Amino acid sequence: MATDNANAGGFGEVSRVRGIVFEYLSFGASVFGLVALGVLLVYVAIDAFDLANASPEWLLTYFLTLVVPFLAFCLYSASDRDVTRRALGALGGGLVAVAALFTAVEAFVAPIPRLNWQLAYLFVVAAPVSAYLAYVGSGGRVGAVGFGLLGRLVGGVAIGLAVGTLFLVFDPLLWFLAYTLGVLPAVGLYAVGRRRSTPRAQTAAVPVALAGLIAAVVLRDVVATYPSDLIIYLWTVAVPVAAAGGLLVAGRSGRTVAALVAGLPLAAAAAGGFLAAGVGLPGPTVLLVLVLTGVPTAVYVSRVADAGEGLAGLGLPLLLGAGAIAGALIVEAWGVPAPDPWLDGSFLTAAPSRTPVEAGLYPAIVGSVIIIALVAVLSFALGVGTSVFLEEYTPESGALGTLTRILQVNVANLAAVPSVVYGLLGLGLFANLLGLGIGTAVTAALTLSLLILPITIISAQEAIRSVPDDLRRGSDAMGATRWQTTKNVVLPEAMPGILTGTILALGRAIGETAPLIMIGAATTVFRAPDSLFSRFSAMPMQIYTWAGFPQADFRYGVVAAGVITLLLILVGMNGTAILLRNRAERGS
Amino acid sequence: MSNTTSDDSLITTEVQADSNDDRAAAAAGTAVAARNLNVYYGDEQAIDDVTMEIPEKRVTALIGPSGCGKSTFLRCINRMNDMIEICRVDGDVEFGGKNVYDADVDPVALRRKIGMVFQKPNPFPKSIRDNVAYGLKIQGFDGDVDERVEESLKGAALWDEVKDQLDSSGLELSGGQQQRLCIARAIAPDPEVILMDEPTSALDPVAASKIEDLIDDLAEEYTVIIVTHNMQQAARISDRTAVFLTGGELVEYDDTAKIFEDPEEQRVEDYITGKFG
Repeated sequence: MATDNANAGGFGEVSRVRGIVFEYLSFGASVFGLVALGVLLVYVAIDAFDLANASPEWLLTYFLTLVVPFLAFCLYSASDRDVTRRALGALGGGLVAVAALFTAVEAFVAPIPRLNWQLAYLFVVAAPVSAYLAYVGSGGRVGAVGFGLLGRLVGGVAIGLAVGTLFLVFDPLLWFLAYTLGVLPAVGLYAVGRRRSTPRAQTAAVPVALAGLIAAVVLRDVVATYPSDLIIYLWTVAVPVAAAGGLLVAGRSGRTVAALVAGLPLAAAAAGGFLAAGVGLPGPTVLLVLVLTGVPTAVYVSRVADAGEGLAGLGLPLLLGAGAIAGALIVEAWGVPAPDPWLDGSFLTAAPSRTPVEAGLYPAIVGSVIIIALVAVLSFALGVGTSVFLEEYTPESGALGTLTRILQVNVANLAAVPSVVYGLLGLGLFANLLGLGIGTAVTAALTLSLLILPITIISAQEAIRSVPDDLRRGSDAMGATRWQTTKNVVLPEAMPGILTGTILALGRAIGETAPLIMIGAATTVFRAPDSLFSRFSAMPMQIYTWAGFPQADFRYGVVAAGVITLLLILVGMNGTAILLRNRAERGS
Repeated sequence: MSNTTSDDSLITTEVQADSNDDRAAAAAGTAVAARNLNVYYGDEQAIDDVTMEIPEKRVTALIGPSGCGKSTFLRCINRMNDMIEICRVDGDVEFGGKNVYDADVDPVALRRKIGMVFQKPNPFPKSIRDNVAYGLKIQGFDGDVDERVEESLKGAALWDEVKDQLDSSGLELSGGQQQRLCIARAIAPDPEVILMDEPTSALDPVAASKIEDLIDDLAEEYTVIIVTHNMQQAARISDRTAVFLTGGELVEYDDTAKIFEDPEEQRVEDYITGKFG
């Protein structure tokens, strides 16, 4: 009974105050950071799209023709009564709450600059609800199909533009020869070897490819006449992409469908390319965009049609397109004032200018895309190579082990070196010593690769280290050499982690300004770079320059448009990389 | 226990299935032989002057308490100990009449003739087909891979369970299936010897008994050397049993029936009856 008395008041209390204080402080700090960033981005977006001058009627029209149908699509896909009720509640309640709060703040505290309650509603309620519903809706079959199709359309356009941009710098004629003499025979040989299961033909593919590449380099200046760019792209990009799409489909749906899937987009792209050239648009780019959009879309549609589920989702792009057109027609007929966005087609395709209205980002975008493509290849190859060497090949003890540890510590230290110092290194090593030129794209790419290499190495090492030793031992015991174990077991398993690290590092590289200034990159160039050794500018450099201009239109409008462009390209790039990574994860 | 009569089995399990007795009766050549083998991890001796001959196409069990060096002995046969930097091996291990520690032996080539199955199932994160075909791929096998995959899966008594899902990941299988997949992977390149390091200790009893049946079948074609903690298991499946005791000493090595019914050494009897270990 004595014990009963002793515990009569429970077991006493243990203080959790410090833990709770810590929890809420950290929570508050993260929320504060996110909200501050969110507000900044809202203002940048308002400036870039000139939303401050959008009339409420204009906003209402597009809200009804674009946002509401999209939300309805997501709700239909989710087909969950609870979600519908919650979404409608949030949209309706949010409307009242935002309007009331906004009016109250304006009346009693201070006027809020460049915002009205409609815009506030758009950013605070409509955008998050849309994002949430898109997430929920994509879980349903219909939504998954819709977003899958939309993603292929947008992705195809982006990749087409990026490939077109790369061909501005990389010689299409050399690529034409290399493809015809090296890539095509090698792939053909490999495919034949695989079908007849003759390993000799498969191993012969690599030397054949190398011989073809060397022949291409030699012949580049010997051959005098070449087909037009349009024909080259048609032959080296459009035809293989269409053939690959057709092959993907052929195994599943038979030859007729495969021929349609490959043939229709190819024909459309070829026709589009030739017609565009007649109208004055860049024909080769139109061809690339059409084929890289059309073939994946056709493959996807045929797959969805085969599965026979969520066919309604295929209507999503139509729904959005029709909404945009309807909105434009209504606004036109109604005659309400529409905003005049800084970020429009001409901003993306024009060169910089002295007048804000004519200013464009095109040369800087091309410069950034080229640099980032080079940096991605260089830092990935070097980073993976170094980390494989450090993790798999070097012993842990002995003199070599000590050397490895020293290397290891220094790699970690390099990650902390300021980027200005890397810029100095790039200036001294690449620009002056190796003579690659001050302010050229190749110098910039090498410098930025060096800058992010430590991050890539460390994250790749981490990923390789996290591959269980069981797998290595299993492969070793099968009689695999260390290289075979690394290639077949360790790298595939570590690839998602390696890609994550590389993506993060690339995100840093694309936004770097200081090293570019150090290596003498131009703040403004008026023509897009047309070789690796031409002077170039990058998006952050151009934005930085505009921010110093005296005209307010530059500092607010044009800079905002540049920032949004930079962010969109970054998000697009990272999104692609994340999709690739997820695919690698699912594959394993 | 000193008054135990010789016809009493020391442990409750029936010793040996009859088919194994037939195998034991026939004379067999030597697959693997150790001569004066000493293994050190740094300053610590893991195996102490072991000499033994392991017959081919038989199941040989290595038993003993934890840390007695039985797994180390197993890893000496395919030189997996080379991976451990502080490990030093002294003496001979003969496989096919050749000392595997000779300077002209390539350990990678050696391991291609010796399959190994680990304690924890470790299928690669690849499809079932690619798992089984792994050894064929790295050895540049240029026959019909699919046929060999099917044979190996049948040999590992897994074919009927997975024949419709060869392209799904090996990690989607249950623990017991994964271990049989690892066995299929080990036998696909047609090795001469299969080493098993406690292959059932991470499995439930039903899965373990399937593996035991499988080991019995494997001995028709392969020399199987198995390390186990489980004495009943050793008694059930092996033809010969080697008892290692602390310090890496091979205390007794004989036909399984003899070891479990009438061991020569008192220490072995104490270990088998559970007095220590």
